[in-house]
Amino acid sequence: MDEKSNPVYKDQRFGQSRELLFSYDKDGNFEKTVGFHGEPDRVILQQAWDHFNERIADAREKVLAGKVSPIVYYMEKNLVDTLNLSMLAGISLWRVKRHYKPNVFKRLNDKTLQKYAVAFNISVEELKKVD
Amino acid sequence: MESKSILIDYTHRQAGHCESGATSNLFNFYGHKLSEPMAFGIGNGLYFSYIPFLKVQFAPMISFRNLPNTVFHRSAKNLGVDATVIKKFKDPNAAMLALDRNLEKGIPTGMQVGVFNLTFFPPEYRMHYNMHNLVCFGKEGNLYHISDTVMEHRHVLTYEDLMRVRYAKGPFAPNGKMYWINTIPKELDIKSAVITGIKKTVYEMIKVPFPLIGVKGLRWMARDLKKWPRKHGDAKAAFYLGQILRMNEDFGTGGAGFRYIYGAFLKESGELFNNPELLEASDMMGKTANKWREFTYIGARNCRGRSKPEEDYGMLGNMLNEIATMEENVYKKLDKIKL
Repeated sequence: MDEKSNPVYKDQRFGQSRELLFSYDKDGNFEKTVGFHGEPDRVILQQAWDHFNERIADAREKVLAGKVSPIVYYMEKNLVDTLNLSMLAGISLWRVKRHYKPNVFKRLNDKTLQKYAVAFNISVEELKKVD
Repeated sequence: MESKSILIDYTHRQAGHCESGATSNLFNFYGHKLSEPMAFGIGNGLYFSYIPFLKVQFAPMISFRNLPNTVFHRSAKNLGVDATVIKKFKDPNAAMLALDRNLEKGIPTGMQVGVFNLTFFPPEYRMHYNMHNLVCFGKEGNLYHISDTVMEHRHVLTYEDLMRVRYAKGPFAPNGKMYWINTIPKELDIKSAVITGIKKTVYEMIKVPFPLIGVKGLRWMARDLKKWPRKHGDAKAAFYLGQILRMNEDFGTGGAGFRYIYGAFLKESGELFNNPELLEASDMMGKTANKWREFTYIGARNCRGRSKPEEDYGMLGNMLNEIATMEENVYKKLDKIKL
């Protein structure tokens, strides 16, 4: 519960931002303090990011092995699933699923690629390879 | 576009919850002292829903808050304030133009945004969460001055970034929703607003005839929680449990799924109307909130796999059931109070 300590977290994405936290003490007062989150909150956030990073690494390997198209990698990097990607890009669900196949992805026209690029906030050249 | 610099004299104060904080700050801008818990209670921020068949971030959807914009809309309605809510703009440029026009008139404007592309937000929170709220109160060329009540200080966003977060896609997409206060009466009838607010919250928590909402939803979740390790395996069960805790503690709640803020609201209104029963209810709510926090501490140990043998999912499920009973008692008590 020590909120003053400044532990270092595994993931590079962890910054340090102070938030307003409420608490209730024995005297019946609701107190407001501005401080860092306690350790349990960090643990559960770390758990989520570990999960996402694992998925991203997995997808990257699959793309490099030529099993799926780079769309899968960028989808995991943006933390979305197929349904949300179809909403983001404005392409129907079955077409998105089809574009996961590398052979189909190679034949995509510029207009569709542009849609994906806008959804992922990257350029079309970046979309064609993984970093 | 010609660039004219506008800066409205708007006080940014940090709050536990994004929307009630924005509402409270907007009311304060028009000269009415409305604290954050008060706005939260009057606008029925308290809620619970568990929707196992809808997945958000690869885990079941659990919400401790009401639908976006409820707090502002209901607190304005209950207090008799003339406010405008525009739910949807089809054209992003039209939405930005409407914001510019408002700023020229000197009206600070609240907006619903998605978190994922919000540049000043702490990176660890940047997941797809579309129910965040912020207030824009100034413009300088391409930059907009933003007051995000979850953050300690105010920030700036560029035109492109603001447009991107206002048109985030996915579940509960904001679609450029914006809201502001037009005129505000000199005297606010807080008492009747508090009564309406409490009534509505009690209805939503124990009287909705649907099993996944309110206390019933809490019990349903407790039952499912016990089944998760057997049904999905340990890793997935831990991730699902983490989702409950993340929604409970991390997403701008002020802690314990808003129960602290609601308790503070009950206490404040109890002191305002000299009502000992409300004070008692606030004490009960505070204890429930502490129990929620205890649940988080034990649950987090479970997520990391460092729990004691007796702290398994069965025990957590029982704890949730206990919390549900405690909460139900609070709402039943509130239901009987005559103000």
